[in-house]
Amino acid sequence: MTTPKIALAVILVAAPVLVSAQGTPAAPAQQAAASGQTATTSNGDSAAGARKTQMCAGCHGIDGWRTAYPEVYHVPKIGGQHPAYIVRALQEYKAGERSHPSMRAIAASLSDQDMADLAAYYGSASPQTASK
Amino acid sequence: MNRVLTALLVVFCGSSVAIAADIRGGETKAKEVCQACHGLDGNSQTPDYPKLGGQQPDYLAKALRDYKSGQRKNPIMAGFAGSLSDKDIENVAAYYASQPSVLVVKH
Repeated sequence: MTTPKIALAVILVAAPVLVSAQGTPAAPAQQAAASGQTATTSNGDSAAGARKTQMCAGCHGIDGWRTAYPEVYHVPKIGGQHPAYIVRALQEYKAGERSHPSMRAIAASLSDQDMADLAAYYGSASPQTASK
Repeated sequence: MNRVLTALLVVFCGSSVAIAADIRGGETKAKEVCQACHGLDGNSQTPDYPKLGGQQPDYLAKALRDYKSGQRKNPIMAGFAGSLSDKDIENVAAYYASQPSVLVVKH
C-alpha cells in the first residue's frame, strides 16, 4: 500500500522539475527559430527597396508591358503582392527553378537584403504611386 | 478568290474560338482546384500563396503551363497544374484575371 503512495508522491514532486528541465532549454531555441522565420519575411525596408527598382521598373512599372523573349505575355503585376511570395519568386529565379532569362540574370545580382527590400516596397501598394 | 475568302474566314473564326475563354468554366474549375489556397476571388490571405485576382491572364496561363511541364519547379503546383487541360488553364486564368484586384502596377 505504501509503495504506490510513495511512487505517486515522487512523481508529483518530480514532474514539475522534469517539465521545466525539458522546457527551459527548448524555449530559447524555439524563440530563435520563430524570430528567424519572421526576419526572413519582415526585415525588408520599403524605403531602401524604392531606391533599388532600377532593374524592375522598366517592365513591372509600365502598364500593360509585355515581355518578348522567349515568349510574349504580359509581365505580372507585383504591386500589392505578398512580400514573402515576391522574395521566394526572386530566390527561385536565382536558383534556376524559374526560367525567364532576364529575371534569372537580375535575381542573380540581388542579395537577400535587396530581395527583402524590394518585396517590402512592391508588397505595399500605395494609391498615390500606383495605378491599375 | 472565294477559296481565299473561305480560308480567311476559317482562320479568323478558328482563332477567335481558340482565344475565347470560358470564365464560368474557369470559376467551376477554380472552386475544385485553386480556391483552397488562392481563395475564390484570388486574393489569397496566406503570404506564401500569391494573389491572383486581376493578374494578367496570359501570365497566369504561362505560369500554369510551366508548372505542368516542369519548367517551373514547384511540387505543390505541379500536381494541381498537371490535372488541368490546356482549355482549363485558359479558363482558370481568364476567371482569376476577371476578379477584383488588389494588384497594381507600381510606378
